[in-house]
Amino acid sequence: MEKRYFGLWSILVLSLAFFVVVSVFDPITIGGVELRTVGMYEQLTKTPKHIAEQLAEQKKKEEDAKKEEAKRQLKLDSPQTILFIGDSMLEGLAPRLASYAKDNGHKLYSVIWYSSTSEVWGETDSLKVNIERYKPTYVFICLGANELFVRDIQEKRDKYVKNILSQIGDLPYLWIGPPNWKPDTGINDLIAKNVTKGCFFLSNGMKFDRAKDGAHPTRKSAIQWMDSVIRWMPKNSAYPIKDMKIPSEPTARATRQTMYQPKR
Amino acid sequence: MDLTYIWHNICELLSFQKEAPMLFSSGIFWALFILFIPIYSALKNRRWQMIAFVVAFSLYFYYKSSGFFFLLLTGTSLLDWGLSHLIIRLKSQSAKKVCVTISIVASLSILCYFKYANFFMWNITQMIGGNFQPLDVILPVGISFYTFQSISYIVDVYKERVAPTKTWLEYLFFLSFFPALVAGPIVRADYFLPQITKNEKATRDEVYLGFWMIILGVIKKAIIADYIAQYNDLIFSNPTGYTGFESLMGVIGYTMQIYCDFSGYSDMAIGIALIMGFKLSTNFDFPYKSKNLMEFWRRWHISLSSWLRDYVYIPLGGNRKGSFRTYVNNFITMLVGGLWHGADWKFVFWGAMHGVGLAVHKAFRPILTKIPDNYFVKAVSWSITIVFVSLLWVFFRADSWSDSILIIQNIFVNFRPDYIPVFASVRYVWIIMMTVIIVSHALPKKWYDKMSLWFVKSPWVVKLLIFMIVVQLVLQFMSEEVSPFIYFQF
Repeated sequence: MEKRYFGLWSILVLSLAFFVVVSVFDPITIGGVELRTVGMYEQLTKTPKHIAEQLAEQKKKEEDAKKEEAKRQLKLDSPQTILFIGDSMLEGLAPRLASYAKDNGHKLYSVIWYSSTSEVWGETDSLKVNIERYKPTYVFICLGANELFVRDIQEKRDKYVKNILSQIGDLPYLWIGPPNWKPDTGINDLIAKNVTKGCFFLSNGMKFDRAKDGAHPTRKSAIQWMDSVIRWMPKNSAYPIKDMKIPSEPTARATRQTMYQPKR
Repeated sequence: MDLTYIWHNICELLSFQKEAPMLFSSGIFWALFILFIPIYSALKNRRWQMIAFVVAFSLYFYYKSSGFFFLLLTGTSLLDWGLSHLIIRLKSQSAKKVCVTISIVASLSILCYFKYANFFMWNITQMIGGNFQPLDVILPVGISFYTFQSISYIVDVYKERVAPTKTWLEYLFFLSFFPALVAGPIVRADYFLPQITKNEKATRDEVYLGFWMIILGVIKKAIIADYIAQYNDLIFSNPTGYTGFESLMGVIGYTMQIYCDFSGYSDMAIGIALIMGFKLSTNFDFPYKSKNLMEFWRRWHISLSSWLRDYVYIPLGGNRKGSFRTYVNNFITMLVGGLWHGADWKFVFWGAMHGVGLAVHKAFRPILTKIPDNYFVKAVSWSITIVFVSLLWVFFRADSWSDSILIIQNIFVNFRPDYIPVFASVRYVWIIMMTVIIVSHALPKKWYDKMSLWFVKSPWVVKLLIFMIVVQLVLQFMSEEVSPFIYFQF
């Protein structure tokens, strides 16, 4: 090789070798930032098992994408009748969703069941009753905040989550996950596992300003939470509601609001 | 570790993968370029072997991005080359014209089939009310670029501005030259063919200057453009879901994104060619410093605008047939330029509006030249130009006409300045990126020259460190998602 190329060539070779070698080891963290690696080592050493897994994953992704696309074709653009059910988190979320509904020509009915859980909603037919009453075209749920610390949650709550979803039936829906203030024992995973793809908004990981109880987001923070849900929907929701404009007022009143007291 | 698997994985990496075209900023290109350099260096003195090697590499490069469409490129080059030789042998002017026409029609037909067939058919069925079934056509990568190169070659041979290459291999070298193959710059025959003949070697400084341009290109394309794109995509995918202020940031973001993306890739192409000893002309010259549209088009995608000037605008009559025809010629040229960018009415509209803008500027030039050229006038001129250009980018980027209108409308009717502090606190990385690119775009050109010189003269170990830092930054930002949960970091 000619001398003038050797310097450049050696830079390219050395740096490639460095990044490939680094990719063999566990990621290095500097100042809290994890340094990403090139992934070449993994790419070169993957076995048929990995390849089969990747192919299966890819196939599943393609199928999901097709299904999602089919659903997106049904983009919901007519005025919606929204039923929003859940626990006390609705105190902050519902007025903001009401404001969106008001400015975008939709109707909102909210049903707050204080201290409720998936168990409470899953062992009663309250959701079904409210669906029959208000005839919604879209259902929002926010549940899970009161069961962040339940042990063996998979065994205990799986049937209730399934029951809630069966009460919704074929209606488009979105389940807003609880705003974790501490790590949960699996409620988010449980919901995510049961819902259709694109019907779960994971709130865990978001940072909230909390009210004095340390659990509920402040009014302002709840508004931003709802804004995030609405912004997430066009690209990620299985049932995006078309063109939700930002409302002019921070909050509004729902068309009707029902409140259930805690179950004893 | 089983070597059979490694071999299988390498073969898989080297074969055509539709979803993974070979980009200059990809790991696979990097690895192949390491193999390319010593062989190229060894063959540089043996011109024919060097040409054959680069052609083979270029065709492989094209195969990796577009599969067996490399055969189409090869076929086009063979037809062009044959016709170019026929042109110089024929005595009759009309026979020469027939050859030029055959070549141009063939090149444009291929381009039209792959790029515009569905667009034309859709429009026809809209007019006659039929049922439109799109053809299952895959667009070969870079076809718009090499088609324009092929047209320029045949026209230049016909006009006797350039002699046809002696061999088909030299012509294939020109048409398939991998640094400029998939995303330009559009290489002109009269500029490039003599370089193949001369086969000059790159000096050590040129090699490092090329390397510096690659690094700059990677920063622009793979770090800045790809990162800021994620936020801009959110805005354009949901035109009414954000405040006017956020939409405005999305529009400014896209204005910088398209520049970084395109000019970054051009920088990499120019840098790679320079390492090989070939000089490609500058493609972007700080376009957003322009104080009028004419200047903008002299600085933006220069290889395309000069191609359009020489092969569309001037043949239409240029400015030789009176003011009105000049405006019309300008308009038609920009319309072609718009359509070149893609088969969609939005590109036609974008081109047409630039055409109108250029015509208006030309019409008012006699008055504008009388205005004193002070700082205030310069600032106003720059502002009008950048606002016009940025607004037209909205139509270029948005999915539909109505989305473009909604975004622009949103900026004016729903500005919501109360979102500014929130935006600043959650989008700070985006803001830092934007600040870096805006400030660096505003720097004087001589500063860049000084920086280039400093890099070229810097110790080897400094170059190594800079390159490794840039690669790590690419990795860090590559999969960094700008989450739609905009308040994630509150």
